[in-house]
Amino acid sequence: MKVSRLFGLAIAVMMLLSLGLAPTLAADCEGEVIELEFMNWWGAAREALMDTLIGHFQEENPCIRIINQVQPWDNRAELLATAAASSNPPGIIMSTRPETYQFAINGLIIPIDSFVEAHGTDLSVFYDGEIGLQYWNGELYGLPMPTAGGLTSLYIYNKDMLRDAGYDPEAPPKTWQELEEMSAAITVADPMGVDVMGTQVIGGDAAFVSWLYTNNGRYSSDDGRTLLFNSPEGIETLEWMVNFTNNINGGVENVTDFFQDTAFAQGDHPWYEDQIAFLRINTSFYGHYNVNDPEGYADSSHWGTMLRPYNGDNPDATHAGTTGYNYSGAWAYTIPAVHPPEKQEAAFKFAEFIGVHPLGGCAFLFAQSRPSPVKECNENPAYYEVNPTWSVVLEGLATDVAVSITPVQGQLSELLANAVEEALFGVKSPADALNDAHAEMQALLDEFWAEFDAANM
Amino acid sequence: MQASIKRRQTQSETTWKVRLQEWWFRNRALIGFVFIFPWFAGFIIFDAAPFVYNLYLSFTDYQIGTVGTPPWIGLDNYTKIFSEDKLFGKSMYNTVYYLGFSVPLRLIFAFLIALILNLRVRGMELYRTLFYVPSVVPLVAATVIFAGFLNTRYGFLNQFLVLIGATPVRWLSSPDAIKPSLILLSLWGFGGQMIIFLAGLQSIPEDLYEAAAIDGGTGWHRLIYITVPLMTPTIFFNLLLGLIGGFQIFEQVFILIGTNGGPLQAGLVYMLHVYNKAFRDFEFGYSAALSVILFLIIFVLTILLVYTSNRWVFYGDAQDDES
Repeated sequence: MKVSRLFGLAIAVMMLLSLGLAPTLAADCEGEVIELEFMNWWGAAREALMDTLIGHFQEENPCIRIINQVQPWDNRAELLATAAASSNPPGIIMSTRPETYQFAINGLIIPIDSFVEAHGTDLSVFYDGEIGLQYWNGELYGLPMPTAGGLTSLYIYNKDMLRDAGYDPEAPPKTWQELEEMSAAITVADPMGVDVMGTQVIGGDAAFVSWLYTNNGRYSSDDGRTLLFNSPEGIETLEWMVNFTNNINGGVENVTDFFQDTAFAQGDHPWYEDQIAFLRINTSFYGHYNVNDPEGYADSSHWGTMLRPYNGDNPDATHAGTTGYNYSGAWAYTIPAVHPPEKQEAAFKFAEFIGVHPLGGCAFLFAQSRPSPVKECNENPAYYEVNPTWSVVLEGLATDVAVSITPVQGQLSELLANAVEEALFGVKSPADALNDAHAEMQALLDEFWAEFDAANM
Repeated sequence: MQASIKRRQTQSETTWKVRLQEWWFRNRALIGFVFIFPWFAGFIIFDAAPFVYNLYLSFTDYQIGTVGTPPWIGLDNYTKIFSEDKLFGKSMYNTVYYLGFSVPLRLIFAFLIALILNLRVRGMELYRTLFYVPSVVPLVAATVIFAGFLNTRYGFLNQFLVLIGATPVRWLSSPDAIKPSLILLSLWGFGGQMIIFLAGLQSIPEDLYEAAAIDGGTGWHRLIYITVPLMTPTIFFNLLLGLIGGFQIFEQVFILIGTNGGPLQAGLVYMLHVYNKAFRDFEFGYSAALSVILFLIIFVLTILLVYTSNRWVFYGDAQDDES
């Protein structure tokens, strides 16, 4: 056989193979196949899970082909900005709440209320606090997945370390004061820094806002027009954070150094070495824990989940978490405005599948032992088998409070983070830092609302 | 007969070659343009056009998603930068601080290493390669390595400091140490400058050193009175490139301490501020204005350096010609 014939045969075989490898939808679809590039940040570790979700969706929607474009976390900001602003953006984009708002106000994405109505999508299946975060100016821009809740309200704690320090491992701290006492008893430091840490209470502006709500304070008014964080409760909260950090951790630098170059998504985090007793987590932690240390995760006598402690000296304070404040929370799946209606329709179908279908976000999140923004999904009794502290997780979701933000949240967040740092490094007193930041931030916010109101008159 | 044919062929070939050479000579300007066209096209498309567009954007309120022509706001962005933007001054100070130390240190370090590598020692090729290798390592990889190197608790540098009885430094967590850490990191990629210095050193005529030796000049005299003066054009070149590159420092800071610039924003360099305005706040017009200011600063500084170079850069041949 001549080489050219062999080559031709090889090409033919490859073409046949490629036809066979192509999604079955091509064979089942009786119309035109719509391709949707799905820009998301679920990461390589969860790519297979997402592919399973996509597979289920495509079985039900043979004429829609989803291209799973998992993006690297590095350079996320410019990847997202350039993709959203381009003339040919992805078919559907996974964005956080502040990003969704920025895209919405600039007309880059479309509101989905008309699709919800046309498809009869039942929004009441979501927790109010979850779906509520996806509205801007009265219009809905995305369906949520995963939860915005459970990002700040939950702590995981090491029962062995409590036991060794002489505390009841089944009675984790409920108040700031108990947390201080136990942390002081557990923390071990040397001239190089902290060796073993009870816990730490800092983490930029997000940590301050989270602690603020456990002292009965608030970040902003419900309409998002007035900032309230420099209230007496706010100043007391920041003072407490500064004192805790200085007195128990030996200063902010000790805390930074303790966690330097580690991440709980990887196996190098101090938690896996029994070096930290109380660790603030988000709900993705359980999946990471199970992957990085399956034996430790399986041993429920070793760890437990507790709620973020509150200020026991403030009679009005109680457990609370916040939702929708920081950048890493309140994800939704948004639809770019430039696409033709049929592509937007297909994108909504996929967003709806992710949001409410049992084989969508529900199954995807269950596989990671983390909760869903859909109430019914979390009632699955199997959750208690994969996460022995599931009841505390649900309690945490129930205590979460939604924070009102605006599209300029990124700039406000930076200013507040700087104020918190100034207080932690002793550049300013907590009261001065918060008051100065408040003045600057409120001016920025007023400017935004003035422009917004003028444009919407 | 055959000899006659061969002669005619040779004459014909010679004529053809001469004509080609004449054509080549007559059209040498055109041919020159053809050769530089790929670079020129690249320059227009990838440098000049974006620059002009960036300049235009700096006078507009262009935000992400602006449809159609962005609103023209004149000098508002520039006014805001100088009157309201606290981070403009801070990021500029951080950048100038970094430049003030990193550029001279890197020059001196690269020059000293080049001097050593210019010695006639057995196996010198190997040493030269070893010293150049760090410059081949991608910046991202080098920065990640440095992050581990600078780790307060487990990093090599602090372990070494403890070993010799010194106090460990919080390289990446203390506002006072952030900039020195970045300066330290800048020394990593000295190989490029070192190679240029090495080439310069090797072009210094040997007879000058021999003459100095005959006159009883020591090694120090030879360095100060021969090597350094004759190396000033190379030093000037490296200084210029170092300054331009130093003003644009971004990747290593981005990787090492993140977009916020580390504790108290002590490492917020200028390009990080430009980046944040564009990709975090989506204020592309404002960000464009910031980058135009950076361009102007670099431009003015370059002009000043070139202008003052007449006083300290020794172009031996040029002076000979003049004399």
